Amino acid sequence: MPDTGETTTVRWADPLEAIERCYDLGWTDGLPVAPPTQQRVAQFLACAGREASEEVGQLPERRRRVTAGKVAANAVMAGCLPEHFPVVLAAAEAMLDPVFNLVGPSSSLGGAAILVIVNGPVVQQLNINCRANLFGPGNRANATIGRAVRLILMNACAAIPGLFDRSVIGHPGKYSYCIAEAETETHWTPLHVDRGFAPGQSAVTVFAAEGPRQVRATGHPEAILYSIADVASSLGTSMSTSGSVGDSAAGLRQGQIVVTIAGNSGLWRDWSKDDVRRYLHQRIRRSVADLKTARVLPGPVAAGDNERYVSLVPQPEDILLVFAGGEEANMSSVIPSWGPKVGSTAVTKEVRLP
Amino acid sequence: MHDGIHAEKAGVPSATICTDRFVPTATAMARMWGAADYPTIFTQHPVENLTRQQVRQRAEELASQVARVLTGGLP
Repeated sequence: MPDTGETTTVRWADPLEAIERCYDLGWTDGLPVAPPTQQRVAQFLACAGREASEEVGQLPERRRRVTAGKVAANAVMAGCLPEHFPVVLAAAEAMLDPVFNLVGPSSSLGGAAILVIVNGPVVQQLNINCRANLFGPGNRANATIGRAVRLILMNACAAIPGLFDRSVIGHPGKYSYCIAEAETETHWTPLHVDRGFAPGQSAVTVFAAEGPRQVRATGHPEAILYSIADVASSLGTSMSTSGSVGDSAAGLRQGQIVVTIAGNSGLWRDWSKDDVRRYLHQRIRRSVADLKTARVLPGPVAAGDNERYVSLVPQPEDILLVFAGGEEANMSSVIPSWGPKVGSTAVTKEVRLP
Repeated sequence: MHDGIHAEKAGVPSATICTDRFVPTATAMARMWGAADYPTIFTQHPVENLTRQQVRQRAEELASQVARVLTGGLP
């Protein structure tokens, strides 16, 4: 690994040799990559109207200055199409925003992945999957955009497993973790609009995320939300550790959470996103007795601790609600953050097209 | 590691204690910042589960190394 992240140029005789050389150079996530030829990288840069030397962001703790050229090279390696590159660039800009504090989730024992959530017209233009098999395989845009983010982390941000990425177990989302919102199929306000963008803009939200926990519930809004709240209140997530709720007086010490809700949007006709967030926020909590038993809070369980609760999410708007997934059933997912907001806060950036 | 190296570069004596499971990471971080010889003090992993008394005992064991590093020596 170069200590300061300079670019390496190599030559190869044929494509298979090139793929093997990429392994030798430590450029892969374990799967074969598409060799990042200068021609292909230039094609990607042209698609976004960017210069190779243009700075996308910095990771100062690791002396890394990430350029558009490096983002493009990793997008090529991930198998992206040139038109996917502006989305990858927006994700890279977002995760290099100081508020995201990339050095934390990309190094921690906690094993976070960067969840990428895409909104806006680009979802349909690029056929980014927002429906069935939401987190699963089979769609090029999701698979390669998410993978590009991981390769950027490894190759441009030095988040190398075992070296600066010290995940104890990690999760499969660290290979690729990209979804979109089915915003044209619901009356709910899209995530990026909730976060200050116009409906006609495309945007990418990044979130330092644990793996998705699937939630099955019967087809009634309150039953679904009650189940989601129960799952989101579990002991053992990063949101219910002493680092996140040990000092709940300061909201920044608690974490954000992503909730995806699938199924038929008609079921939610009497509920707005605000209604859902308010309902969940009141119920994503844990008793002081449980938190003490799990040694999240110090001291012995005292009288009244079973009736006293600690909220795991500081504000309703810290629940990032996304309508996405197949129409066939009311499956939801709960994705706890890697840590409290002071450790990493979700960031949304516009997808800029030339 | 990052903060210790930067304190030292700013002229503030520093001593960084790291558990032994993090030797490769600590070494790579020091090299990354051009401080390959930075005198990191390593102690046995883990420390998370230690009682307050055990932490105190560990600190006492390491104190002489900390003093040496802070005065320009090696651990």
